Amino acid sequence: MSSVKKVRRGGPGAVEVRLEPEEAALVRALMGQLQELLGDPPDAGDELASLGIAESAAKSDDPVLARLFPDAYRDDGEASGEFRRYTEMGLREGKREAADIVLGSLGEETPGASGQVRAVLDRDQAQAWLKALNDVRLALGTRLDITEDWYDEAAGLDPDDPRLAMFAAYDWLTMLQESIIRSVH
Amino acid sequence: MTAPAPVELDRPDTEEDQSADRPWLAIVWNDPINLMSYVTFVFQTVFGYSKAKSEKLMLDVHHKGRAVVANGTREEMERDVEILHSYGLWATVKRDD
Repeated sequence: MSSVKKVRRGGPGAVEVRLEPEEAALVRALMGQLQELLGDPPDAGDELASLGIAESAAKSDDPVLARLFPDAYRDDGEASGEFRRYTEMGLREGKREAADIVLGSLGEETPGASGQVRAVLDRDQAQAWLKALNDVRLALGTRLDITEDWYDEAAGLDPDDPRLAMFAAYDWLTMLQESIIRSVH
Repeated sequence: MTAPAPVELDRPDTEEDQSADRPWLAIVWNDPINLMSYVTFVFQTVFGYSKAKSEKLMLDVHHKGRAVVANGTREEMERDVEILHSYGLWATVKRDD
């Protein structure tokens, strides 16, 4: 992927992100996958759910969901369960919304003359991008079982290893997130 | 990990009073995915800490494996941890002991 600078300050509190069409397509696809993983919002008729409270809330067997919604107590399963019951639904909703904001800011823009997709983000939108990019990195990184030495591991992979593309996407998302942090800071 | 200097309190006699008086902590744990710059940004945004304090806490998380980032009532700490989870940080609540 291109190494051209993708993010710059776009006026007070605003950030401008420029992506190549294939990069925008990657971000869209990953946001879609994140939303699929998070599942649909609860039915409007569910009274408890309408208050943001779940019937029961056990930690997910899926390591990615377990990482996105970790136990709030290390040694107290009961307290963790209660915390989850009252918070996870709202947290899921927030993560879905952040991914929606990313998709919205990419969707409105048609590629310009340069072929790039340009998104100008206000402070709240930039914050949503940071959260959603982070969630996608948490998902990919957990699937890849990323360690702090992942770069060496990826460098040693066979060129045909299917994980190479995931490592490349992870690396690129890391760079994009870092650039946006630098611009909002 | 940097913790506030221990404060000597008169220990109440009953178990119940003790749990009511002793503060709770929000702890952030190290993980290999969250960026150091992002964790610093989250501390500044969520707690309104200065950049210097946020960086110090982030480095504590990075080097010592965890850091206490806030203390208060149990409800306050659960609220903080919920917000930290919304940012994807690995955070837990613990009674200060």
